[in-house]
Amino acid sequence: MRTLDPQSLNKHVDRLFRAAWALCGSREDAEDLVQETFARVLSRPRVLRGDDELYYLMRVLRNTFLTSLRTASRRPVTAAAIEDVVAADPRPTNRPEHAYEVQEIYATIAQLPDNFRLALVAVDVLGLSYKEAAQALQVREATLTTRLFRARKQVSEQLASEPERPQAAEARREDKDASGVMFSEGAP
Amino acid sequence: MSERPPHTEAEIVELVRSIDVQAPPELHRRIDALIAEHDGRSSARKRPPAPLRWGLAGALALAALAAVLVVSLSGGGSSALTLHSTVALTLRAPTMSAPAQNPHSATELAADVEGVAFPYWEDRFGWRSTGARVDHLDGRAVTTVFYARGRQWLGYAIVAGASAPHVGGGTVTEREGTPYRLQRVDGTSVVTWLRDGHLCVMAGHGVSDATLMALASWHEGEALNA
Repeated sequence: MRTLDPQSLNKHVDRLFRAAWALCGSREDAEDLVQETFARVLSRPRVLRGDDELYYLMRVLRNTFLTSLRTASRRPVTAAAIEDVVAADPRPTNRPEHAYEVQEIYATIAQLPDNFRLALVAVDVLGLSYKEAAQALQVREATLTTRLFRARKQVSEQLASEPERPQAAEARREDKDASGVMFSEGAP
Repeated sequence: MSERPPHTEAEIVELVRSIDVQAPPELHRRIDALIAEHDGRSSARKRPPAPLRWGLAGALALAALAAVLVVSLSGGGSSALTLHSTVALTLRAPTMSAPAQNPHSATELAADVEGVAFPYWEDRFGWRSTGARVDHLDGRAVTTVFYARGRQWLGYAIVAGASAPHVGGGTVTEREGTPYRLQRVDGTSVVTWLRDGHLCVMAGHGVSDATLMALASWHEGEALNA
């Protein structure tokens, strides 16, 4: 057992961000989720049983995500409007032979049922082992394996069923154009 | 998307694992600030704050302080202050609890930006505050309070700093000497105007342009002319 070293946490920000994006389906919500996760972790000293901080962070991320879902269910519905307004940031994967965009892949994962989504994020996005992921998600390893298989299958089917949407691509280009309009200093 | 979509489980795994998108620098700065804040607390051997019920004014002040800390740590760098980015903040989820009514004012919430208070509308118009958030753009704190009425909701942002950035375009309507600019940003109706030199931005979901304009230009003692 050892105490979590806060200084070692910032090296996990990128991976946590990817996991959060896949959970939320929105880049902006992912930023909030990661920040909230770190705020929770840092709110008091933490003792780790193993060496893997990432496993521990996944547990906190999961709890924070589920809490945010419950909170969001009590708020007015906002998801559609947010997605309508915030410009997409379609950065490609590091495999150019795939034309999928990050936003599309993560949005597809985010549509999975919660349990499937968490399993896929823990293993495929964060890179935890099956054993670590099962512990982080507090399920049996066999359960995790089943959920993971079904999650991947659903993602595959979903991606295969989505045709190219030229209007969406056009809308993204317009968003990017609009985001470039700067304020200028001075009285209106 | 002209490429063949992945079919097999292995292809899906490979595709998902190949994504190496990085967190935005702004998020890195915010996390670094949290860690620095934690270290400061630890070195000072202060007891962590008890989970008291935070008044929203206190919470906002703390968040503003955190924002200042982030800015100071990052040398002032932050996301660009654009109309698009400011409007996007008004449409994001709150990160703090809803501000309560100011006990000393029937028309204001206990939340303000440099003395410019957010309005209290619940008793008169049924718009209740539901949460708040503080962000920063180009080193300026942007405080947003969210309101809801039924399934309608809106975000009301005030940009810190009396030297307000200029906003152009849209349709300008002048009420009691103040120009209110109504325009569409990414398909959303947005009203911008100045209060004591501070830029205010309001956008909503399921809210008519007339209601947005009426709420933006409402003053104490008036009916809501929407």
